[in-house]
Amino acid sequence: MTPVSIKLDRVSKHFDHTVKGQVYAVRDVSLEVADGELLTLLGPSGCGKSTTLRMIAGFEEPDEGTILIGGKDVTHVMPNKRGIGFVFQNYALFPHLSVFENVAYALQVQGRDAASIARSVSEVLELVGLARYERQQPHQLSGGEQQRVALARAVVFEPKVLLFDEPLSNLDAKRRVEMRDEIRSLQKRIGISTVYVTHDQEEAMAISDRIAVMDQGVVVQEGDAESLYYRPATEFVARFIGRANILDGKVISATEVEIEGLRLRVATRRAPGEVVRLVIRPEMIELSSEPGPGRIEERTFLGEKTDYRVKLGAETLQITATDHYRRTPFDVGQPVSLHFHAGAIHVIDGH
Amino acid sequence: MAQAQSASWRRVAGDPALLGTIAAIWILLLLFVLFPLAHLLERTFVDENGLTLAPLLESVRDPGHQAAFVNSLILATAVGVWGTALGFLFALTAVRGGLGRHWLTVLDAAALLPLVSPPFTTSISIIFSFGPKGFITHDLLGLANASVYGFWSTCFAETLTYFPIAYLTLRPILAAIDPNLEEMALSLGGSRWRIFRTVTVPLAVPGFANAFLLLFAASLADFATPLILAGNAFPVLPTQAYLQITGLFDFKGGAVLSLILLLPAAAVFVAQRYWVGRRTYVTVTGKVGQRSRNRTMAPGVAALLCAACFAVAALIAYFYALLLIASLVVAFGANNSFTLHHYEVIFTEGLPAIRDTLVIAAIGMPLGGLYGVLVGYLIARRRFPGRRAMEIVAMINYALPGTIVGIAYLIAFNDPPLALTGGALIIVACYVFRYSPTGIRATVALLEQIDRSLEEASASLGAGTRETFRRVTLPLIAPAFFAGLGVVFIRSMTAISATIFLVSISWMLITVRILENMTEMALGPAAAFSVFVIVVVFAVVAGLSAVLARLRAPTGGTAARSFLGG
Repeated sequence: MTPVSIKLDRVSKHFDHTVKGQVYAVRDVSLEVADGELLTLLGPSGCGKSTTLRMIAGFEEPDEGTILIGGKDVTHVMPNKRGIGFVFQNYALFPHLSVFENVAYALQVQGRDAASIARSVSEVLELVGLARYERQQPHQLSGGEQQRVALARAVVFEPKVLLFDEPLSNLDAKRRVEMRDEIRSLQKRIGISTVYVTHDQEEAMAISDRIAVMDQGVVVQEGDAESLYYRPATEFVARFIGRANILDGKVISATEVEIEGLRLRVATRRAPGEVVRLVIRPEMIELSSEPGPGRIEERTFLGEKTDYRVKLGAETLQITATDHYRRTPFDVGQPVSLHFHAGAIHVIDGH
Repeated sequence: MAQAQSASWRRVAGDPALLGTIAAIWILLLLFVLFPLAHLLERTFVDENGLTLAPLLESVRDPGHQAAFVNSLILATAVGVWGTALGFLFALTAVRGGLGRHWLTVLDAAALLPLVSPPFTTSISIIFSFGPKGFITHDLLGLANASVYGFWSTCFAETLTYFPIAYLTLRPILAAIDPNLEEMALSLGGSRWRIFRTVTVPLAVPGFANAFLLLFAASLADFATPLILAGNAFPVLPTQAYLQITGLFDFKGGAVLSLILLLPAAAVFVAQRYWVGRRTYVTVTGKVGQRSRNRTMAPGVAALLCAACFAVAALIAYFYALLLIASLVVAFGANNSFTLHHYEVIFTEGLPAIRDTLVIAAIGMPLGGLYGVLVGYLIARRRFPGRRAMEIVAMINYALPGTIVGIAYLIAFNDPPLALTGGALIIVACYVFRYSPTGIRATVALLEQIDRSLEEASASLGAGTRETFRRVTLPLIAPAFFAGLGVVFIRSMTAISATIFLVSISWMLITVRILENMTEMALGPAAAFSVFVIVVVFAVVAGLSAVLARLRAPTGGTAARSFLGG
């Protein structure tokens, strides 16, 4: 099966709120998923990511804009005519059907003959590691097993695209990591264009080719995990993906910014004298014990790393030391120096 | 808003199966709910000179009608109070009495028997017991010419007939009260009686109110019991309206009287839906909690409650035994020698009524079951313009007293273009639209527990609306479907208040024959008919329960309760 692309062009969906009047759940969202790509919609609850996904599936109809699957306009096409495999957060297995009947459902609807259905079902159950589970009832399975059945059911009829709506949020932490790796490897093996919705940034970074971060119905930034982490377009993205120190700095020159008396090397196009927002990841600042302008306020030992809270003038910084096993820890109250790595500082609205 | 509206229109228009179903149901609702009601109102408020209140005012000024109105309210209030008390006694004993499973079954059976019996059974037994030749009044006490007719016997019979409604309402509420609450109160040093008064009863208050209103409405609408037992000294509205039409052929007078009945009935409906319906302190879920032996009831008290319940159960058993015996002797009280003559009678000259009733029930049952599931599904699951209106209109015939519905049908379908009176269709329609709402509500309740994502999953897997309904929704709401079947069947066998206006020479009903037998003092055949109806109803309910038990229903709930509805 050759993969197809998904395209959303200025899609909006609004609803009537009793207090706020007309509210946009999704506003002017334009996205493209290339053939065989996995795009994740990432954002806090209520950001419009699920609504966007459900509009691709056809469960909701956009008020404006168009949706294309494989180049065909499906904006007003019923969900059963779209050829989409959908994996639900709550699995949505049919409780009155066995595992076999659940997986066979789409094939039976298509009217395939019994022998070919049986063959396809056992193949796909093998693929998700549930061979010989055919006769089980959904309620006899664990959460992880149910999700595998849901996955098998969604891919067995060779849909054009695969959609996931927070598929792992009902699983415990360990299963979640396992399942997400399985989903990713299955998706790559089939080579199917996929949209994946989650609010978990780590999951998004682990599973995606590309991530679209959404907030308040709008796509704030799109890109791969690295670009979102190192070059967040907004303060929201910076805070939502990983941890971040966000500080105000004053532009001194095209290559220098001042924070609390420290002059740091940053490339910026802003004019000297302007104030800019800076993002500095906690692990990109190095502490040293030679007395400097910083003062340790708090130390938290977390095993693989040690977190410090460091006062720098009026600002408080989070700093993570991953080389903590090599040196004696800094004490609370101790004056320290801060070393900012070249390229570690990102100017949010500086481009 | 306008855009959302147009979007929902577009969705409906793009789905011919859905559009067709909605249109068909609206046509049926217009024809069999709104059209008769409009005719009833027109007959009451319109004369040659246009709109008028004269017939209504005239009727209200009639001292006889005023008495009937007051009597109806007094009777309904008394039945509401006594029935709620009796239902609470049963519910408390079932939940807290520490009874074994078998004793609970006995209790349930005693409570359910009256609900699935034809309307006159208690009345017949009361006449057999307390009438002039009654087993108790005449044979045991030696009273001559004891009078059984009037308020007290009517109230007694209705309380026994309708208290199971209160039992079914209160039992889940009491069962859902977390024993921890009471145990906590106990640990705070309260006495058991104090806890009962200050914790248990207050938590059950919404249940009391609901039970009272349901009983009030049931008594208000009850036609059969007062017709037999109330006598001339205690007229009530439904019987007055009936006599106005059958005795005096005064359609207008009957229509006006039935509309007067509408007033308290509507008040109760509104109170129940908007006042009580939204106040519950305990959530009733499908989950059946463990019935741990609760230490908040003293053993002596529990024993006393059980004794009281089984006394009532014994009384009910006695009434039904009496009915059975009366059907098997020549003339109860006068000649007690065994005979099968009454059964011969009902299976020879009574055969047309039996055949007609069974035919009508057999036609109405699948139609009513399907209609209930379809409307329930549309209301709970589809978004379309006029959904709320459909929900309300579909409930109207269920909420109205049977007398009103019967008279409205009689007036509306008596003349062309829709001269349906005299046929079977009108009786079937009356049952379907009057008793399927139980199936509608059961479907809605069940669907609310079934996540919408199941249907979305089916759609994503390529199934259209109709296919999804057939493969996913229908199997999951099968319990509601069978409950709907059961209710329509039971009521087709036992109801009389509406359909007594609709029977004819060609289509007769068993219940109407029982009434005729009663008025001719042919009590033996009446008893035999009643026994026959009870046996058939039990057989069908048992069959449906067996089917239900085999279904892999995702949610629990007892079959018997769902058959009886609210």
